[in-house]
Amino acid sequence: MVQAVFTGFFGLAAIWFAVVVFRTSSMVRSALALLFSQAAIGGMFLAMQTEFLGVLQIMMMATEMAIMAIFMVMYMMDPGGLGGMDMTHQKRASQVAGALGALAALAVAFFAGWGPIAPEVRPAEQVYGLGIEIMERSMLIFETAGVTILTAMIAATAIAIKRRGKE
Amino acid sequence: MSAVLTVLMLLVGAYLVAVLEGWVSTGRLRPAGPITSGLALLGRESVVPRQPDRIFFEVAPPLLLVAALLAAAVLPLSPGLVVVDLATGALFVNAALAYVMVALVMAGWGPDGTYAMVGGFRFLGQLIAYSMLIVMPITAVAMRAESLFTTEVVESQAVLPNAVYQPVGFVIFFLAAMGVAFLPPLDLPTAPGELAGGVMAEYTGWRLAVMRLARAVLVVTLAAAISVFYLGGWLGPVLPPWAWSALKTLLVAAAMLLAGRYVPRLRETHVLEWGWKIGIPLALFNIFYVGVLLLVVE
Repeated sequence: MVQAVFTGFFGLAAIWFAVVVFRTSSMVRSALALLFSQAAIGGMFLAMQTEFLGVLQIMMMATEMAIMAIFMVMYMMDPGGLGGMDMTHQKRASQVAGALGALAALAVAFFAGWGPIAPEVRPAEQVYGLGIEIMERSMLIFETAGVTILTAMIAATAIAIKRRGKE
Repeated sequence: MSAVLTVLMLLVGAYLVAVLEGWVSTGRLRPAGPITSGLALLGRESVVPRQPDRIFFEVAPPLLLVAALLAAAVLPLSPGLVVVDLATGALFVNAALAYVMVALVMAGWGPDGTYAMVGGFRFLGQLIAYSMLIVMPITAVAMRAESLFTTEVVESQAVLPNAVYQPVGFVIFFLAAMGVAFLPPLDLPTAPGELAGGVMAEYTGWRLAVMRLARAVLVVTLAAAISVFYLGGWLGPVLPPWAWSALKTLLVAAAMLLAGRYVPRLRETHVLEWGWKIGIPLALFNIFYVGVLLLVVE
């Protein structure tokens, strides 16, 4: 019962902050509202006892949304939203698409067979199960690829910058 | 009960950190300094700048405090004295610390001031430099403990503390922690003498008091994190466990504050360059090295 209340609370918070994203003209407010919407989804994960996913969601989104904020401030003409610039377009089409999407999501929620409720699983087992579910036997390949891409990023940064004093 | 005790310890720690910070920066030891200056701040008017982003301006100081408190909530003071012993504790520390940056970006954007704005965005750049250097050393620590429980991380160091077992990770994490707490020489977002206080420039009165308290608590939290991850937390002979935790945390905090006294402030470009070109390769090496130690030696 308590769990359901908290899940519902974080769910409503996520929806509310998602609405705020579109109601404000300030780019930074918009980005941080999206951050808090995502963090509320992390709260939902925590309330549903998927601890690892919840903490991961709360952690990753903080950095990602802040970096998005800086790009929005850099590239938008009116980042503070003080000029009253209207950024909406294709209103009718988006309304229809939004309504259809909401209906589809509700239909899936109500008509899909969700199976029995899973028993309580220890967080460490959850992480293991999640890893196997997503990557199956390719775990090592994905991990190796991740490190390789990171190394490539560092190498690219290192060569891209000219050394001062030479040239 | 343990929540109250932890908050009490954090407040005492924050007070001591404030005294130490005053001592290293002015050269005079004034034990009553934090109290008198705190009271003075509470007595002053808290000015709201013209045309602020009011929500961000008001939310930033409490958010900074909450982020530091949340990170402290999973760090154990002694075997039974931890607010929540999360199964993902070591990861949660990092998740809570990410909101330090969110608070500072808010504090930078909120007051509609140039210095604050520069300070806020500088800290976002600083995050790009330090955040990987927080996560990757923690990965190596968790590898040794085979767990993300902070209590099990401490217990894994019964024979040898991680500072000796993986010294590279220890040094990297220590420097990155100084970056999180924006302590000199990494105090780019506040940069006294250059940005006139940066993110704190537009805050006055009780709001500034909250902000300064939050910063002091943040320093204590990070020192506690270093003591838990690398110095064996509560483990030690003779003294009771909580005393060892407190002693180690204070010593680490003092070391962090002292380091800044003798090094000039770094440039943002240098922090980023060294973080990515030197820090991340070393952190990757540290993970590899610990992996070899765990698989081959033990």
